[in-house]
Amino acid sequence: MRDDRFNVPGALTLLAFLAAWEAAVRFGVVTFAYLPAPSAIALAFVAIVRSGELFAATVHTLRSIVIGWVLAGLIGGLLGLVFGLSAFARRYALASLEVLRPLPAIAFLPVALLLFNFSLTTELVVMIYASIWPMFVNTMGGIANVAARLHDVSLTLKLTPLQTLVKVLLPAAAPAILVGLRLCLGTTLVMAIIAEMIGNPHGLGYAVVNALMAIQPEQMFAYVLFIGVLAIGLNFCLILAARRLLPVYGREAMSHV
Amino acid sequence: MSRGAPWLTALRFGFPPLRGLAPLFALLALWQLIDPQGSPYFPPPSAWWNGLAGLARSGRLFAALGATLTTFTLAIALACVIGGLLGLLIGRSRAARRALGPLLEFCRGLPPPVIVPVGVLVLGYVESLKLVIVVLVAVWPILLNTASATAALSELLGEVSQTMRLGRLATLAKIVVPSAVPAFLVGVRGAVPLAIIITLLVEMLTSLPGIGSLIVISQRQFHSAEVYGLLVVVGLVGFVLNGAFVVIEGALLSRWPPRASFAQGG
Repeated sequence: MRDDRFNVPGALTLLAFLAAWEAAVRFGVVTFAYLPAPSAIALAFVAIVRSGELFAATVHTLRSIVIGWVLAGLIGGLLGLVFGLSAFARRYALASLEVLRPLPAIAFLPVALLLFNFSLTTELVVMIYASIWPMFVNTMGGIANVAARLHDVSLTLKLTPLQTLVKVLLPAAAPAILVGLRLCLGTTLVMAIIAEMIGNPHGLGYAVVNALMAIQPEQMFAYVLFIGVLAIGLNFCLILAARRLLPVYGREAMSHV
Repeated sequence: MSRGAPWLTALRFGFPPLRGLAPLFALLALWQLIDPQGSPYFPPPSAWWNGLAGLARSGRLFAALGATLTTFTLAIALACVIGGLLGLLIGRSRAARRALGPLLEFCRGLPPPVIVPVGVLVLGYVESLKLVIVVLVAVWPILLNTASATAALSELLGEVSQTMRLGRLATLAKIVVPSAVPAFLVGVRGAVPLAIIITLLVEMLTSLPGIGSLIVISQRQFHSAEVYGLLVVVGLVGFVLNGAFVVIEGALLSRWPPRASFAQGG
């Protein structure tokens, strides 16, 4: 399905879509009260770039994402490691986590607001709660499903438990862990936007809601489209990094998820 | 063919041993026993129950729960129909895939919560706002999974339909649709938690009736026991809805060859 040639029909459709949008708004075909034309959105985008608002909001959101991603990756990865290694933990504690996992993290926002008020802590708590799960599930699955043959190998080579972990289990589970890290990044981004909309009046999520409340449709659309580009860019960077750092596993883990 | 009720099998494989709930109950019991008296921030579990009972007596709890569940159910049903049909159409046509590719990729990459303010702005605070937004968000995973599974249909199966001289309609009904169902279900599996989150987000942002707005109101009035109680309610809702989907998916897929259940689109 992937085609490496430049997608001409795709680009043309995109342009046609924008042109139709522009025309529909200009000539009053659509009746929505606050739908701005693409050209107006572009002007608003230039304005928020010039005023530095976009830059400040992006820096805040990116910083939250990095902090949240690292912490959620560590917590989720460690939990996944423990539960992947120990059948005992899976038997006597996994159900507790499985009950907490489908809890929509957004419901934690009011609790976090109660405890930490409108703050970065609130934002991070919600982000981390949501994004430890993909990391946890993938790490646990990756470690627990390492083929029994590989355990035999480490027995034959008389590896210590630590050596088994570092030389056998982690490399074998690396593709699953990478998938977990990638999903984790996606979740952190989504939850950062949600948390900024409701729990922490900073960053890109707040900028969108703020533009909505101030009834500045052009500005709001500019932020929304920028967030889309940012999300796609982040994902793309991660794929590149995975391919470069872990050529063997990266391709497999990142190609079709 | 299948031994025992398929939904029972799905349930058994879907969930780890129940004794694993012990740590969670131990934690809640400990919380109740220590009972951080005087702290308005950590009310003990018994207080959560009282808070919920108060909301239930006033009728607000069930009204909100009903509103949220109605939106969710309708949205998922609509997203399944729209996403499934569009996915089939786009997946069947190479030209459509190529032409719509960049647009679809962008929509896939767009973080779902930003759809909410866009919907509010363009549609205004109308009754159908919640439903439209949740459908718009939930439709993507279903559409994209169905489309890529339909597109990836093996040539062998295409030759089967030629050999058997199946018409267009028969090919669609007997070969294309059945082979896309597992990936379609994977898409729905992704859409379910997303739809729950976005339903709650719309309610929180717009104060349209539902569990999301109820929990925010309780939080603003510093009724912390109600907030914790509603958190448990939302957790139960999430657990039951996700679990129900796993059961339905298991029951449906038990009629498919086992390999099909691993076919993932994307």
